[in-house]
Amino acid sequence: MIFDLIVNEEPIHTEAPADISLLHFLRDHLKLTGTKEGCNVGECGACSVLLDGKLVNSCLILAAQANGRRVVTIEGIHAEDGGPNDLQQAFIEYGAVQCGFCIPGMVLAGEALLNSNINPTRAEIREAIAGNLCRCTGYQQIVDAIQATALKRQEKGRRD
Amino acid sequence: MERFGYVRAATISEALTFLNQPGYKNRPLAGSTDLVLLLRRNPDLCDRVVDISLIPEMHTIEKTGNDVIIGASASFSEIISNPIIRETGPILVEACKTVGATQIRNMGTIGGNVANAAACADSLPALVCLDAMARVLTPSEEFNWTVSELVISPNKTRIPAGGLLVSLRYTIPPSGTRGVFLKLGRRNAMAISRLTVAALGRLDENGRIADARFVTGSAAPQICRFKDVETSLLGQVPTPALMLAAGKLATEEMIRLSGYRWSSEYKVPALAAMTSRALSRVFQVREPSGEVV
Ligand SMILES: Cc1cc2nc3c(=O)[nH]c(=O)nc-3n(C[C@H](O)[C@H](O)[C@H](O)COP(=O)(O)OP(=O)(O)OC[C@H]3O[C@@H](n4cnc5c(N)ncnc54)[C@H](O)[C@@H]3O)c2cc1C
Ligand code: FES
Ligand code: FES
Repeated sequence: MIFDLIVNEEPIHTEAPADISLLHFLRDHLKLTGTKEGCNVGECGACSVLLDGKLVNSCLILAAQANGRRVVTIEGIHAEDGGPNDLQQAFIEYGAVQCGFCIPGMVLAGEALLNSNINPTRAEIREAIAGNLCRCTGYQQIVDAIQATALKRQEKGRRD
Repeated sequence: MERFGYVRAATISEALTFLNQPGYKNRPLAGSTDLVLLLRRNPDLCDRVVDISLIPEMHTIEKTGNDVIIGASASFSEIISNPIIRETGPILVEACKTVGATQIRNMGTIGGNVANAAACADSLPALVCLDAMARVLTPSEEFNWTVSELVISPNKTRIPAGGLLVSLRYTIPPSGTRGVFLKLGRRNAMAISRLTVAALGRLDENGRIADARFVTGSAAPQICRFKDVETSLLGQVPTPALMLAAGKLATEEMIRLSGYRWSSEYKVPALAAMTSRALSRVFQVREPSGEVV
């Protein structure tokens, strides 16, 4: 089928099968391999992307369901100069990245939370990343990084 | 080769046309959180999916008179944040909050949860507690069933082939009604051994129980209200002893409905404790201590 959608602010026009998952469409057809395949059954969150601004598991969604809509993958999250944005920078500073496999999904889960709640409690942060498994870090550093970014963005909001 | 095709319906009537178009084995697709996995296991399930998740009229949540109508394609997240349901059916909000994680709540719909009718579907006990009705359309007929009539047994409903569950409807319980939803079990799609209880009730002006509704999920072959438990409460003044007795009755009713199974060993004490805890919270009596998990 013909696909017409916006991925990371860029219009995409291409042909792909109707029965593939959004995850495989992103990785195999668009070569956006930042989105990871962990469990492929909705349990680990490594494949998380934003669909019309909402956090979803791309392994559970058909690419066809995203047709005509807006998708943001980890490749679409960066600072203006293309380097890491404030949240990604905080992940580095707080030692929230070890093997890195869960991180694209974690960053998107963090962005999805901060887009809707600029002042989350630690419990709210934990709840927001509950669908994202990390085998390495023990989560504390990830929660710290998201919390620190929330505080920074609040300060920036007050200054602007 | 594609194992199945995809069409997106813009309206309910278009969805019904697609679902009944000859030459295809069609199946509705809402949030896809169950169906995509089902299709991987069983590719013969359908040869075309009809996407009903973007039909605007299936997302409306509205109050008409004393009833609340919820479009079947409303996601768990939409329900959780909806002011009408938060005010009139908080027990359903509590149930939806326990579903999966953010990603699953953003995609998964209440219609898909009911139509898939897994034994562990979390919206079901809350909907049955609210005496919710399900509206099902085919191109030529309309059916209105209670949710407990609709669900015949786990993964089996009365929705006919080519039919569409379009909405769920409940009558707003009288003011003073309190509801509690409790879930025991891992947060895991593969967790089959778990229990839920939904309890709703109200006291009259003399402090006696005027309304008591009690449902458990994953405990009986067909999801239904536990009438023995409810009858034991009606007209009584709530006390911790009454709540403990109700917990015991719930386990007897579960065994009568589903027989004694391998899982009963753990389900019996767990259900007794969860029942008395939920009812104690509904009727605001001190929770029985010690016995509670
Ligand atoms: C990781 C994970 C965790 C989960 N956790 C939970 C949980 O905690 N609690 C819980 O209850 N569930 C859970 N689920 C199961 C699932 O998310 C829910 O059952 C969800 O509500 C299904 O809705 P959907 O919109 O995704 O349905 P779909 O997958 O789109 O459809 C499910 C079935 O219903 C049919 N259908 C859908 N809508 C209609 C309609 N309107 N009319 C007729 N038929 C229809 C479809 O044809 C299909 O057979 C989990 C799933 C995953 C993958
Ligand atoms: S790969 Fe999608 S949730 Fe694990
Ligand atoms: S850093 Fe390795 S899984 Fe999270």
